[in-house]
Amino acid sequence: MTEAVTLHQSAAASPASAEPTLKSSEFRKGRESSWRDLEGLVERVEKRGIAALLPDELQRIPLLYRATLSSLSVARSIALDRNLLLYLENLSLRAFLVVYGPRTSLVEGCAEFLRRGFPRAVRAAHWHFLLAIAALAVGAMAGFMLTAGDERWFSALVPGGLGGDRGPSSTRAELLDHEIFAPWPGAAAAFGLFASFLFSHNTLIGILTFGLGLAAGVPTLLLLLYQGLMLGAFVALHYHRDLTVDFIGWISIHGVTELSAIALCGAGGFVIADTILFPGRHSRLDSLALRGRMAAEIAIGAAAMFFVAAILEGGFRQLVQSTELRFAIAGVTAIAWLAYFGFAAREPRR
Amino acid sequence: MTAAYEQASLFLEGGSRNRREIITPEGVPLPVEIATFGERATAFVLDFFIQFCATVLVYLFVIFVAFGSFLAFTKSGGAIILAILLLLAFLIRNVYFIHFELAWQGATPGKRALGLRVIDRRGGPLLPTAVIARNLTREMEMFLPLGILLSAGRGPVWEELSLAAWLIAFALLPLFNRDRLRGGDLIGGTMVVVLPRRVLLGDLVGQSSRYRFTDRQLDAYGAFELQVLEELLRRPNAPDAARLHREVCDKICRKIDWRTPVPEADTLAFLKDFYTAERAYLERERLFGRARADKHYKEGPAG
Repeated sequence: MTEAVTLHQSAAASPASAEPTLKSSEFRKGRESSWRDLEGLVERVEKRGIAALLPDELQRIPLLYRATLSSLSVARSIALDRNLLLYLENLSLRAFLVVYGPRTSLVEGCAEFLRRGFPRAVRAAHWHFLLAIAALAVGAMAGFMLTAGDERWFSALVPGGLGGDRGPSSTRAELLDHEIFAPWPGAAAAFGLFASFLFSHNTLIGILTFGLGLAAGVPTLLLLLYQGLMLGAFVALHYHRDLTVDFIGWISIHGVTELSAIALCGAGGFVIADTILFPGRHSRLDSLALRGRMAAEIAIGAAAMFFVAAILEGGFRQLVQSTELRFAIAGVTAIAWLAYFGFAAREPRR
Repeated sequence: MTAAYEQASLFLEGGSRNRREIITPEGVPLPVEIATFGERATAFVLDFFIQFCATVLVYLFVIFVAFGSFLAFTKSGGAIILAILLLLAFLIRNVYFIHFELAWQGATPGKRALGLRVIDRRGGPLLPTAVIARNLTREMEMFLPLGILLSAGRGPVWEELSLAAWLIAFALLPLFNRDRLRGGDLIGGTMVVVLPRRVLLGDLVGQSSRYRFTDRQLDAYGAFELQVLEELLRRPNAPDAARLHREVCDKICRKIDWRTPVPEADTLAFLKDFYTAERAYLERERLFGRARADKHYKEGPAG
């Protein structure tokens, strides 16, 4: 800090006179006007937002902020005026919040998140995502094998509310008419189904899967396995009635999106668990702050995917009445998600 | 930061405030004061109330429109309206918090009323992702379990109990860490601080000095005593200020061996002159590497 050095030298050069001239007082006199200027600008931003400033005032703020920070450093080394120090600290902090405050609006922030933040976070957590997918797959296989061996497992694995009237007693015709090729209930009911997603089972499961990552990831793993088990049980039920392909078509139209979203929530949970179990070079709290944001980005993006899945489920599933077409839509969604996560906002390799 | 300065802060303001230091990207440490649990709870209640009023207004509008179009009387109309209302409530409460924290540099109306700000815990810029993350986590911490708990009545008892335990655990989380972080702060890497507005008061250094002091006399005190004296002189006309000034004046006279008695009317002038001389002396000493923290200062082997 050159300012401090020159002050130091001049103080050393001048002998202690009888009439005390205070360096800190002179220092204050020389700079007070720029502090007042900054204070006025900061106050206006705090009251009326950053838009209240004219372009040239906007340019002045960072310069005044750095000058004030430098004043603070000097004051800390030469001044003993407590009020002055407190004032400069307070002013620097307030200006810091203006200079380094968020500059994006809500809409820009969301767009930026979808364009860059979300796919980047997912790519960064690809191992965690694969682990979540593996847990789902293992669960599904176990559920399928158990239920295929003995259908009574179905009622044990699937809670009553979720199975509806489907169960070991369902016949092939019932499943076909009431489930797979049930008529489209009309726009109103479809929309009701779509909007009830907010408190729907899957969103809750997704959020729990993510949040319970804080408990070292064990509940996350269990929840993923259980989701797989239920899926496997459903597949086995239809397998016995020779409906495997039709059922998979029926479920995959939204299931590709929904299962990916659940797996992503799981991946977010695993990232948090990973951070807590293996914090690396930082303290647990610091590394949670570093990587928790990434985990939250994944979970928030997954919530948006549940939204898309609900639209597909409510709007398209019963409207599209052919298994081939359903597979086609499922394939398109799968490719779209893969392309999005794989290539969106990827930086060229150097 | 000198020890005397901290000592004076502790002595004059009490140690009740939880203080932290952040380092700005320019490398300058700035002290911040952590918001207390009570302040944050109050701010949240205020925000919740505002947000709730907005939701009710929007609800009234939607219901008005629905009845106007006779949608409410169709068979599945009720379900649609309910769905729209749920979606709107979700959007309003999240847009409310995220919008204000982005537009007002980390403050919502409730936080602003209490002088609170959200900042990045490590002193970096407050990123939009951090704001979105800390607010959407609130959905998981609070609104989702609360919604289920209030709408339920059909779930088993253990489910409701565990939801209640979840709510309480997350609500009390700030009490169990030093930085008063809630779940969203942990994940977003943020913390909430109090930002009082401080005013720059006039310089106490006087122009005319009638009283002169020798270096030996000024040696009696250090920076801590100087800053306590500063606070005393700055205090705006306290009821017993005159008596206090007299007492301090007498004490100083005894300490520095000041023989000539100071007349009653001159007490303030004497104290001001002493403050000026002491500050000039201590600041000069400090530039020469002898930082006198308080009256117990002893010349070290290096000095």
